[in-house]
Order: sequence, then C-alpha cells, then structure tokens
Amino acid sequence: MGDEKRITGGKNVILCIASLLVLCVLLFPLFWIIVTSLKTEQEIFQVPPTLFPHVLNTKSYAAQVETGDFNMFRSFGNSLLIAAGAMVISVILAVPASYGIAKYRFRGKKVVLLGFLVTQMLPVSVLLTPMFIMFRNIHAYNTPVAAILADATIGIPFSVLILKNYFASIPKELEEAAYIDGCNRFTAFIRVLIPIAKPGVMVCSIFSFLYAWGDLAYGMTFIIDQQKRPITAGIFNFMGQYGTKWSYLTAFAVVTIIPVALIFIFMQKYIISGMTSGAVKG
Amino acid sequence: MKKAKRFFQYDNIGYLFVLPAFLYMLIFVGYPIVDNIILSFQDVNMKTLTAAHKPFAGLANYIEIFQDPVFIKSLSNTLLFTVCCLLFQFLIGFALAIFFNQNFKISKPVRGLLMMPWMIPITVTALIFKFIFGTDVGILNNILQGLGIIKENIDWLTSTNTAMFAIVCANVWIGIPFNMILISTGLTTIPQELYESASIDGAGKIQSFFKITLPLLKPTIESVLILGFIYTFKVFDLVYVMTGGGPVNSTHMLSTYSYKLSFEMFKYSKGSAVANVLFVILLIISMFYLRMTTKGEEE
Repeated sequence: MGDEKRITGGKNVILCIASLLVLCVLLFPLFWIIVTSLKTEQEIFQVPPTLFPHVLNTKSYAAQVETGDFNMFRSFGNSLLIAAGAMVISVILAVPASYGIAKYRFRGKKVVLLGFLVTQMLPVSVLLTPMFIMFRNIHAYNTPVAAILADATIGIPFSVLILKNYFASIPKELEEAAYIDGCNRFTAFIRVLIPIAKPGVMVCSIFSFLYAWGDLAYGMTFIIDQQKRPITAGIFNFMGQYGTKWSYLTAFAVVTIIPVALIFIFMQKYIISGMTSGAVKG
Repeated sequence: MKKAKRFFQYDNIGYLFVLPAFLYMLIFVGYPIVDNIILSFQDVNMKTLTAAHKPFAGLANYIEIFQDPVFIKSLSNTLLFTVCCLLFQFLIGFALAIFFNQNFKISKPVRGLLMMPWMIPITVTALIFKFIFGTDVGILNNILQGLGIIKENIDWLTSTNTAMFAIVCANVWIGIPFNMILISTGLTTIPQELYESASIDGAGKIQSFFKITLPLLKPTIESVLILGFIYTFKVFDLVYVMTGGGPVNSTHMLSTYSYKLSFEMFKYSKGSAVANVLFVILLIISMFYLRMTTKGEEE
C-alpha cells in the first residue's frame, strides 16, 4: 500500500523495534548454523549453549576443502555445473516459447498453456522411476547430464509462465516499428523483444538456477557416484555417515547457502517479482 | 470454405517458437507420466527394470497398496501434515503481511529479508531443523530446559509422538514467506479510499478488517491456500532428509513412501502406484485451482 501515509514519531520507533524482533526470531535458525559452523565440536555440545563462538574455529571449512572423505569443493562445482546447465536449457527453450504464446494465436495454445501449468504442480515421485529407466537407456544415468535434463523440467514451465506476461505487456507498435526498420519476425524477436523483456529473462534465469541448486531428489537418484553428486546430495550423504559431526555439517550447509545468499542480496527485486507473479516452488 | 479461412487467421508461426520447449516437456515430463501409469500396472523389479517385456500385473499393485497399512498411514500423514502446515503458515503469514503493510521506516527491507527461508535449499533447511530439534545438541531442548518447561531432553525426531511436530515446524518456516508475500501483494490491490471512507463512517480497525480486507482478499486467500496445499502435499526433500519417514513410519508421506518402495526396496511398480495416487489427488486439486483462476480471464 504505497499510498498509505508514512508512519512517523513514536509509533514508527515501536514498529521498527517490533519488526526487528520478528526478524531475529524468524532468521534465528540461519544465524544459529552460521555460528555453530564456527565453533569447536566441544563447544557445540556445551550446556548452556554459547550464543557466539568462544574459540573461533574455521577448521570445519578448511578440513573439507583440503582432505577428508568428502570434498566440499568438488560437490560445490558439480552443483554449479548442474544448476547452470539446467538454467541455460530452461531459458533458451522458455524465451521463444513464452513469446510464441504471448504474441501469436494458434490452435491448441490453451492446451499447451495448461500443460505448462499442470507440470508445475506435478510431484517428483511420478517422474523419478520413468526418468531413471530413460536415463539408463540413453546412457545419461550417473552423469551430470541426467540431473541437468531433469532439473530443466522445473525451470521451463515456471519460466514460460512468467515470461509470457512480460512479452504480452510489450506494445504491438514496438514490434511493428522493427518490421518497418527491416526486421523479420525472428530478428525482431531477438533484437527488439528480448532486450525489452530482459528483467523477465533475469527472473527466469535466477529461479531456474535456484530450483536446480536446491534439488535433491533428481541429483541423488540419477547420480550414484559421490564424486559426481551435487552438494545437496553430498550433505544428505554426509548426514548419514557423520550424523553428529555438527561442525562439519553446518559448515557444509553454510557453503551451500552462499550462492543463494549472494543472489538474494544482489537481485532481491527480481526474486520478489518472481515470487509474486504466481511464482511457486517446485 | 469458412473453416479454411478461420484456420489461416491463426498465426501458425507461433508453433515454431513454442515447439522446442513443448517437445522437451513432452519427452521429459509427458512420456514419464504415461510410463509411470504403465509401470504401475506391471510387475517391475530389479531384474525386469530394463527388460523389453515387463510382466503385466493388472490392478495387483493398487490392491496391494490399499491393503498396506504403511500406505494408509502415509496417506493420512500427508493430509495431517498438509493441514497443519497450511493452518500455521497461513495465519502467521497473514499476520506478518498486515504488520509489514504498515508504512514504517524499515518495513520494506525487513520484509525482504524475511524471504530468505523460502530461498534456501530444502536439504539445508532440513539439516538446520534436525540440528535445532536434536536431543542432546539441539537448542530447543536447551531453551525448554532453561525455562524449566521440561525436565529431561525430548527425543523430538526419534520419537513417534513428536517427529511430525518437528517436520511441521520446519515446513511452516519455509511456508511463512510464501504466504506473507502473496497476501502482501493482495493487500496492495485494495484501494486505500475504502478504508478512509469506512473510518469516516465510524468503522473501527477490526470492523474494516472483516468488512473490507477479508472480502476483497478472498481470491488471494483462495489461491494462497490451494497453491499451498499443492506444494505442501507433495513434500519430499524435507521429510526424506529430516526423518526418512521414520521413526517406525510415523512421518512417511506418500512421496517418501513411494521413493522408499522404488529406490530402497526396488519394488518399482508398487512405488509407481503410490506416486500415481499422489498424482491423481494433486491433479484434481490443480484442475479445481485452474478453473477457479482462469474463470473470467480470457487468454
């Protein structure tokens, strides 16, 4: 409610304090794992718990990068590869598709649109076994390709539905002007429409990346070798093996959050817009 | 003649743009859906998984799962989990949306920061809450002991009475931002003048809320609840990582039980049948949702 009167004076101060309290309570879990990842194993089990580490311990981070049964660096790289791959496929396929849906009338358009909407609501359980068989048959099983192909199925429908609105809001005159300047339909699409829809393309890229980054089911089902698995599957594995090594586990978790936090800090406006335009989590 | 003319009015070049994405989804989503239905009527295990001819089983898998107490438990767990999560995340999200809708100095940035839990990979969220709800290491037990509420540590995640509560808490934490931001957006569509004229007519804040906010927010509330239902009902990662369906199946959801059957017990067909039950329930609700939202909206 932008046009609501700005609150000032004492009421403003009270509301600010109250909102900070809400923030502290709701984000406490995040604060807590960051703090824990910097504590020693003994301090973690100390009663009563310490709010800040008495002895700063960065070993949990260092140990996993250097040696150990689990190399955090590698699984981080695997996740980057998978998420970037899924993002590229999603955007390359979704941009033209959403333009086609927004700007052209053709038979079966409603069915196509409905199809994209329904896939967004699909549970992964339905797809896992058939995909598993399919990837084995095409020899993509146990390679990053399997996870990339599967993760892109989350990004594509989301991106199409978001971008469709961006393209639909571009006035027809702009496109017509491009035709007068000698563009055909394809060059007009590439040179004129895509640049205008750039914020939308950003939203889609970010969300396609984040969906793939957060995926566990596909990554752990289609990739078996620990060295090729994404970081989420790595954490899951690590929890099974070293369930009580909380300093390592929390360090692992913090590292997984870093890209998300960076995206969040630098691209917050895209995220809010993505969430509110009917955005949904896969 | 008339028909032919109508066909050409359609701009068939649109197909070219849509085709690549459509084909992709057909191959990697459409085909698997069909294949999963076929699988559920066959008898597929480790040996027959890649065989060309898989033995036909008819309705045997479905009959088997509906006689399986763990399946029934998973079904009721999924419903219970969904209803509990929806209730709390909606109420808290709604309250926060109204709170942050007030235009005080830091309302926008703080609300932005509250989106964080929704963005974090669910595996990490599961780890965080597993840590918080830990028996000896968990801060929750520490706090409750410190306040004198409990005498001995509670085995939150390893006791059948409390594990569901723990995963509901974790999921509500993820769901609050989603509810808050959608309701906030809904609130911005209510014209400010309505509140002003209501207050001139002598209506109090509570009266305005029930007479203006709630009725005008009805479409938003419906979408938030139905979308929330769909996304909560298909929960997988969170439960799989936090409890794996245990202890003693007390937190198995349809999705985790299906996964267990297929990829831990290698009863692929039975797993597919469970997944299909989940699918049908979601499909019915999705159709209901789509009919509701596209009503009166012409594409």
